[in-house]
Amino acid sequence: MEVEFSKENFLLPEMKYECEYILPIIFKFLINNGLFIRLTDLDHTADVQLHGWGTSLKEAFEQCGVAMFGYMTELDYVSVESCYEIEAKGDDIEGLLFHFLDELLFLFSAEPFLVCKKLEITKFDVQNFDIVCRCYGEPFELGKHPQGTEVKAITYSAMQVVQDAERSNYEVFVIIDI
Amino acid sequence: MVVRSYNDELKYLEKINDHCWRIKKGFQPNMNVEGCFYVNSRLERLMLEELKNSCRPGAVGGFLPGVKQIANVAALPGIVGRSIGLPDIHSGYGFAIGNMAAFNMDDPLSIVSPGGVGFDINCGVRLLRTNLYEKDVQPVKEQLAQSLFDHIPVGVGSKGIIPMNARDLEEALEMGMDWSLREGYVWAEDKEHCEEYGRMLNADPAKVSMRAKKRGLPQLGTLGAGNHYAEIQVVDEIYDKWSASKMGIEEKGQVVVMIHSGSRGFGHQVATDALVEMEKAMKRDKIETNDRQLACARINSVEGQNYLKAMAAAANFAWVNRSSMTFLTRQAFAKMFKTTPDDLDMHVIYDVSHNIAKVENHMVDGKERKLLVHRKGSTRAFPPHHPLIPVDYQLTGQPVLVGGTMGTCSYVLTGTERGMQETFGSTCHGAGRALSRAKSRRNLDYKEVLDKLDELGIAIRVASPKLVMEEAPEAYKDVTDVVDTCHAAGISKKCIKMRPIAVIKG
Repeated sequence: MEVEFSKENFLLPEMKYECEYILPIIFKFLINNGLFIRLTDLDHTADVQLHGWGTSLKEAFEQCGVAMFGYMTELDYVSVESCYEIEAKGDDIEGLLFHFLDELLFLFSAEPFLVCKKLEITKFDVQNFDIVCRCYGEPFELGKHPQGTEVKAITYSAMQVVQDAERSNYEVFVIIDI
Repeated sequence: MVVRSYNDELKYLEKINDHCWRIKKGFQPNMNVEGCFYVNSRLERLMLEELKNSCRPGAVGGFLPGVKQIANVAALPGIVGRSIGLPDIHSGYGFAIGNMAAFNMDDPLSIVSPGGVGFDINCGVRLLRTNLYEKDVQPVKEQLAQSLFDHIPVGVGSKGIIPMNARDLEEALEMGMDWSLREGYVWAEDKEHCEEYGRMLNADPAKVSMRAKKRGLPQLGTLGAGNHYAEIQVVDEIYDKWSASKMGIEEKGQVVVMIHSGSRGFGHQVATDALVEMEKAMKRDKIETNDRQLACARINSVEGQNYLKAMAAAANFAWVNRSSMTFLTRQAFAKMFKTTPDDLDMHVIYDVSHNIAKVENHMVDGKERKLLVHRKGSTRAFPPHHPLIPVDYQLTGQPVLVGGTMGTCSYVLTGTERGMQETFGSTCHGAGRALSRAKSRRNLDYKEVLDKLDELGIAIRVASPKLVMEEAPEAYKDVTDVVDTCHAAGISKKCIKMRPIAVIKG
């Protein structure tokens, strides 16, 4: 659903994501402690892992969503022209993340074909697993936006939601099928 | 998952002959049948290395190695015969890509699994012949590649140019290539040379979510991205002259066009929706699997039936999609050579599906059984005289189209009786990844890849050049190794080899 928004004082979030193959946090720990060094062996052959992080779980989710769009095109070429609101529900936190990304993928794959540069989760209910998110960007346009990789689907494989409240470190890892 | 050292794992594997390994029961828990995989010495090394890496301490996350995935499939309820890995196998979501498995339809506990079909339902390859020769095409190769690139929408975010509204889509989903024929996009004979005659009769668009239809509508008639491509190829070698002539291939140098594409966002969404539904059905029916990614439902359950009907609609979508691109290819050629597609003899040689589940009759333990055959990254390869292959190929066996990767050769094989007995009439589908995408991106430079193709005399038009190294030949198993293994194992027979002269991709 398209919603109104003000372009005045519009701020883009800081980039806190990577969409290359990123190692799960446990490996980072092992590597940092010199226990595990053969990184490349962990690669697998079909897909790409998205990794978003932040000081809250909400931020990690937002970052992970933007990461997916960053894989479809180069976000530097995208300007913020319109805003759409989506809602996602799940049965658990992984399910919520899955459906959140699936909604975003749908926003890109069908009308309005939106590429998002900024996501703003306005309702983040982790008790009932319900998200409402405002998605800022513009419709994908050949010639203006470089073509990246096509995302076929979101998967549950090796999905991780890391919540470390003490150090306010939140991270999510999702493998997408491309 | 059972944790064992690599040497202990090897005790469960046994080399039966030069081309086939047996996976014994116990390799993974609850295996109902044994597994097997076909490899030659080089591919064998890749397979075992993958297993060895997974035995390292701390190696969790990502995908299981292909051998483990074959064994997990062997533990699914209702499986008959063996869980079979083909030479191009590589690990995928749930089922490995290049894994086929058949389930007994008469067993009420038998399952259907969307993971056994893949996200890209009815992804497949179509081959068009022409009466042109390399000498006719070489001088205009670049223009022809450009013309194809202009005609066929490719890459992320491209939209189809075949006029379509929501009602047309409903009809296309139900009718498959009959729709394309009615609308004038294909010739009547095209249907003959297509698995299932380009239409799965059990398709029911009502079982497909609105979301899938919305994703599908703008993408009909588009090639897609990733490993999908359209290639202009030249016949490089003919191994079986008689069979080749039945396909209209007379001599070396003849020009053909290969189109590799699937059901686009429509199929991806059908698969996603089904996986979500089946997770619930599994809890209800208490179906246990070794891997959460092997979500499945009983064939006779509501979810199972809904999936099969929606999958059939997605299969029809894919045939209409490839048919639309056939139309565009014929137009591009006709314009370039200022003649008609008819005069260029641009017939469809064959169209194969390599991501699909089908109901087929096979002999199991000496009895004929009705089976649901899952082929994920595996091509049907029926022998001569099989009732389901077209009249033109009754004596040669079904043509099997094996696409290489950008810049490598492709093959046409034919089905054999031995394949029918050993692999439920299935064989390989392509090259199969050897390097992960992330790895190939790190190790290869896209300019080098493009220069190398240029050196080989291959014209290339690509929507996202920076991603070209993900699909570079170096990232794949050698297709010749794969095809030679199938030929040597006797599960299909080499007929024609083609090499590309122009590639169009996403």
